[in-house]
Amino acid sequence: MSELKPEEETAADDSGEEKDWEAAKAFFDSLKTKVPRPPKPRNAVTIAVSSRTLFNMVAERKLYQDEGVEKYVAFQVEHENEPLKPGPAFPFVKALMNVNTRLRQLYPDSEELFDIVLMTNNHAQVGVRLINSINHYGLTIERFCMTGGKSPIGYLKAYMTNLYLSKDSEKVTEAIDEGIAAATMFMSEKESDLSDSQLRVAFDGDAVLFSDESEIIVKQHGLDSFFEHEQKFENKPLAQGPLKCFLEALGKLQRKFYAKNERIDCPIRTFLVTARSAASSGARVLKTLRSWGLEIDEALFLAGAPKGPLLQKIRPHIFFDDQMFHIEGAKELGTISAHVPYGIGQKYHKGKLIQQPEKKE
Amino acid sequence: MVSTVQNSDVKQKDEDQAVVVAVTFAAVFDAEAEDDRDVYRLGVALPLLQVLQRVNERLLEENPVEHQLFDIILITTETRQQQQSSSIINSTRHHGLEVGRFCFSSEDDFIESLAHNNVQLFLTTDGNEALQATQQGVPSALLDKNSASCPSDQLRVVLCQDATIQPNADSSGASKKSAQSFLTLLGQIRQKFGMFNSPLCFTIVTSCGGKDSCCSALKSLRSLGVSVDEAYCLGGAPRGPILSILRPHFLLSDGFSQLEG
Repeated sequence: MSELKPEEETAADDSGEEKDWEAAKAFFDSLKTKVPRPPKPRNAVTIAVSSRTLFNMVAERKLYQDEGVEKYVAFQVEHENEPLKPGPAFPFVKALMNVNTRLRQLYPDSEELFDIVLMTNNHAQVGVRLINSINHYGLTIERFCMTGGKSPIGYLKAYMTNLYLSKDSEKVTEAIDEGIAAATMFMSEKESDLSDSQLRVAFDGDAVLFSDESEIIVKQHGLDSFFEHEQKFENKPLAQGPLKCFLEALGKLQRKFYAKNERIDCPIRTFLVTARSAASSGARVLKTLRSWGLEIDEALFLAGAPKGPLLQKIRPHIFFDDQMFHIEGAKELGTISAHVPYGIGQKYHKGKLIQQPEKKE
Repeated sequence: MVSTVQNSDVKQKDEDQAVVVAVTFAAVFDAEAEDDRDVYRLGVALPLLQVLQRVNERLLEENPVEHQLFDIILITTETRQQQQSSSIINSTRHHGLEVGRFCFSSEDDFIESLAHNNVQLFLTTDGNEALQATQQGVPSALLDKNSASCPSDQLRVVLCQDATIQPNADSSGASKKSAQSFLTLLGQIRQKFGMFNSPLCFTIVTSCGGKDSCCSALKSLRSLGVSVDEAYCLGGAPRGPILSILRPHFLLSDGFSQLEG
């Protein structure tokens, strides 16, 4: 699964890159409005968001589907001075920016920050409206890839992306297959009142932070076998899941606040929201996290109860789960959720095996 | 003394409307390697020649009487090459390259030939030649071993916004104007195809500047009639990985970065 940034780089690459880096530094320093310079990808926690997750483009998307790409692009160009409305990832991005502000206050020279990249399949002509919208809301997004229809996967890797958010489940699945943490975002119908001083991220356990090995047992052998198995293997850490490295990256930034005595006031808070029950299957999860050297701020064991009401109380900026059933429940009660298309959960719906129709080639 | 020879294997293009692209001998052929029959092996420009041909084919599919096609000429830039004219012609015909004519010049007069043949883009593997041509108002681009592994189904033109990328950047008035008119021509060709499945693709890469410089470049190019397909704003991030995904046939830099104001 997506490892934290690799360190290898050849000496030849380095000198060319250093020149670009210095030139970029000079450019940003020379700007009249003090836009903070984006950090080097290898030092930063890179979050790639698509245009439809950052902004609400539902109407434009419908135009694209009904009338084709040329009409869609023409429409976007015609309206390029009208800012788009916020999309599902917008509150998350603002919360990331707030964490960056706090980090810059404590560590003015550090590049261990969030770096937000716009990663879109859109044609570059639509880019003008996207850039205008980003400027309208004052978002610190300086890097983007507008691939004009080509796959974003290569670019995600080039930016050493730690998390990719999109509305397109195919691209998300492709990213996960390539070892990049990714999730498909869903907007909630209800407005919810999110914190603007603390980034709150909620994770499901199995098949999100951890592998789906235990979920396979539940689906194929039932709950009793599952409890027995988990107790038997309590001390054996679970294998990691697609979002483990993202939790790790968040933890690394959290520790920077703890180091400066800001634990109480830490602007990042993480939650585990799992259907496991504390008594019969919870220990293995906590011991696994401990063996990885990871902390999670609050672990909530629901023992099968619905996640929606609890998430409503937590009010995270984003909630990751592998099962659409939970995503829908969360959405109904106002939580912005993101589906992680990984593991055996994809073949089931509400406990029943989904009959796959014959794939049309 | 320059001599120009037509390639009788290839249909000649319309003098007024064709977009003339000159490629040097050293780019078309691997000058060091000759096989037994005195035929040169193909060099780094092969994918580019194939893709220019592909664009022509698609243009003719859209409009069978299209005149605004790419017209490729092979130009020699050294006396030694100038003397190999028959081998060069033979090798070209042997490989079936869509080269319209040959321009046999030397290091002293190849620039003149470029002007004389109304060349709108000069492609070479030699940095000095590119610099000279640019200074004389002919947009040039360098080909290298990376060019050899470019795709041959889509012409990928990458415009780099920061002078640090193109080693022979030159900001004289002549070079800017000619680069702009070349871009306008390419823009016209691009317009003949739809958004998807086009044999020609324009990409902007802003290496060191911010999103606003990229945005104004998009708009300036639009005013030249160039509708950019892809845009990448790197903000100082390493460009190597991005360029290796883009696989441009050639990189252009000057001529559009200072269009505004």
